Amino acid sequence: MAKAKTVNTALPGTKRYGYWKKLSVDILKNPWLYLMMIPGLIYFLVFKYLPMWGIIIGFEDYSPFLDPFRSAWKGLYWFQRFFSTRKWMDYLSNTLILSFMSIVFTFPAPIILALMLNEIRGIRYKKVTQTLLYMPHFISIVIVVSITYVIFGTDGIIYKLTTQMLGRSIDYLGDPGVFRWMIVGQNIWKETGWGTIIFLAALTTVDTQLYEAAMIDGANRAQRLWHITLPAIRSTIVLMLVLRMGSVLDTGYEHLILMSNALNRSVSQTLDVFVYQNGIVNGQLSYTTAVGLMKSLVSVILVVTSNKIAHALGEEGLY
Amino acid sequence: MKKIVALFLSLAMLLSVMSFAAAEDDMTLNVMLPDFYSDSDWVSLEDGNPVLQAIYDATGVKLNITWVPDSGYGERTTLTLADPNNMPEVMVMQGVRDAIMISSARAGAFWDLTDYVADAENYPNLAAGAASVYDNIAVDGRLYGIYRARAYARAGVYYRNDYAAQVGYAEEPKTVEEFKDMCLKMAAIDPDTYVFNMCKYVAGTIGIMTVMNGAPYQYGVNAEGKIYPAFEDEAFQEGLDFIRDLYAAGGIDPNFMTIESGNWNDAERSDPVKALMRLDCLDNGYRYEEWLEENKGVDPAAPVVSLLTALPDKNGNIQIWPQNIGASGEIVVTKAVPESKLPAVMKFLDWCNSAEGQTLLNCGVPEKTYWIQSDGFRYTYPEGEQENSATYANYTNTVQHSLNQLGMNVNGDLTPPAMATALREEYNQNLLDNAKYVIANPCYTYDSETNNLMGASLAQDVEDAQVQYIAGKIDLAGLQAAYADWHVQGGDDILAEYQAIYDAEK
Repeated sequence: MAKAKTVNTALPGTKRYGYWKKLSVDILKNPWLYLMMIPGLIYFLVFKYLPMWGIIIGFEDYSPFLDPFRSAWKGLYWFQRFFSTRKWMDYLSNTLILSFMSIVFTFPAPIILALMLNEIRGIRYKKVTQTLLYMPHFISIVIVVSITYVIFGTDGIIYKLTTQMLGRSIDYLGDPGVFRWMIVGQNIWKETGWGTIIFLAALTTVDTQLYEAAMIDGANRAQRLWHITLPAIRSTIVLMLVLRMGSVLDTGYEHLILMSNALNRSVSQTLDVFVYQNGIVNGQLSYTTAVGLMKSLVSVILVVTSNKIAHALGEEGLY
Repeated sequence: MKKIVALFLSLAMLLSVMSFAAAEDDMTLNVMLPDFYSDSDWVSLEDGNPVLQAIYDATGVKLNITWVPDSGYGERTTLTLADPNNMPEVMVMQGVRDAIMISSARAGAFWDLTDYVADAENYPNLAAGAASVYDNIAVDGRLYGIYRARAYARAGVYYRNDYAAQVGYAEEPKTVEEFKDMCLKMAAIDPDTYVFNMCKYVAGTIGIMTVMNGAPYQYGVNAEGKIYPAFEDEAFQEGLDFIRDLYAAGGIDPNFMTIESGNWNDAERSDPVKALMRLDCLDNGYRYEEWLEENKGVDPAAPVVSLLTALPDKNGNIQIWPQNIGASGEIVVTKAVPESKLPAVMKFLDWCNSAEGQTLLNCGVPEKTYWIQSDGFRYTYPEGEQENSATYANYTNTVQHSLNQLGMNVNGDLTPPAMATALREEYNQNLLDNAKYVIANPCYTYDSETNNLMGASLAQDVEDAQVQYIAGKIDLAGLQAAYADWHVQGGDDILAEYQAIYDAEK
């Protein structure tokens, strides 16, 4: 569709046609481009738009043994039910706090690491380091959690070390105050190296002449970083951030379920975990569809808002 | 020439008619079962599984089994029932009163088997099941499955008596108070040796401890005929307080909430031993003793594991936690089975309860997966061999696997008796003697809409609070706040719905 727009605006002096009229003119002008777009359109229709009809079960008392259109209609009953539990505030705030922490701490980590890697002069050393940094990405979260249990449990090396140093023990696996930091820490450990790829690619586009000119003008490393490198990758950063906002509420329920237990459940219960526990485990499909839909609404609001902010900052944003 | 051709043709026709006749008796049955041996390969009928072959020879039924790891069976059940076009024909439902079981039965996912169970002429084994247990699993008065029979009085305490002797309990404790005293003394033996072996699954430990202490199970009825949740009983709080005291005394691993139930054995089967006692099904107790004999050279004549059950509380009452309601889940026949095929499927389920069926499902094929040794008892290895011999254990796992999960045994255990150690005999005797002490949840068969919808998550919140209380993370006020929350969040509705049914029945 983006193609159609640009072509249209490139037709000066034409009268103001209706949208469909303009579209048909454009299709006649660029038939091949539209033909090539068809597979993509079909993909989105079949795999993204068609399944959305499933949302309907969030408004009825759905039973898989009845047609979705014949199950009893409940209207907004499930939404009312959810908001009347009082616990929904906990679920939402747990989700938002974890998401916020991941934006503040997890998101900048690959940028910082990419800038550090960019400063490494030895090519071979840089390559080896990069490869090693990518490795944790390929480790399953189940393994990451198991490793965490081993080193942070009361028999673990880190537990014993910090107990010795601080003179008091920290319950890494049970303390609700520590839980979110553990999640953020695990995510940083696992994904930071992998996340550098896109920023390193952006960094290669920076014109080296700018650095040379700056060096002649007497700019030191920090100044070059601040005035040349960062502005050069600014649009990439903003784009990644906006993209990230769309999935920011996806807290990764499998990760949370693996790390959660009776002691920290007050902070580990996010909307995703709630949907999994009540939908998949307890079989309340309608109820959890409604809750999932509510989560999607919050996500849409976040994407639209962050895109607006991106525009306000003078960046291109997502659309 | 024509004659010969005609002869061949008629012969071919005859053969095809015969093979058709044979095919009519044959039946393929798609079955979904929980799997407890997920790390071993499964030998299918096509690959020559002798047990499945024997089942086929006896009944003409080709079992096509989908194994689902036990830990994920619950969610797989939900997903399976969410796709009515691809259901297995016969499957295990693990929770007989779970919301998913009740709602699926009402929605028509399963065949109503009431008439089959009542038909003693054609299905004698199914009809021989206990009416009380059938009542326990009925939904709206109709039977949608055949229960898998389990002994009532399985639950109790097993502990290392060699360690108990060090603190003056060479004799088994005689009362709950003595038992508590023994536990606290055992906690002092060694800071790295815990008393209670606990894991993420805490409902058993808390349940056994509180019921032994005199509390009702899940719900109680007070003197005025009012239903109340068990956790509000004084005896319950006392039992919970004891677990908290034991934790504070170093008697429970502070990491217990991170131990998966699959690793529950680790603490007692470690070297040196990390936990000395477990509140659980007592059959795990004699298995533990047998493991110690095999691996630690413990003398079978002097067992170091003791089984403890049916202890009088301080008021002299004896109560045993109901590990089950006489059943552990049920076998259901889904609507994937056409009505015309249903009698044949029921015939097969009936056969599964016969002596032949029970033996094949639970023990397998003689001289292949089990051996009757010269003492007349059944063993999983031939005479003169070691139990842990990898040859037999692996073979048994790959062909027998978790086939016993299809077993129901509603008409009693008809398998050849297994080897009898002193502890196994004690256990079996306990089952007989103590069934009368097992208490029940008075609301077990009651249907509460609120409980179906929120009961599980409400119970989880209460259990979490109890764990936090045991671990000293919250105090009594915090615990009571969680109980109050239970009432507000839906507990009061559940109580009201139960009370209405209870009053109506009175």
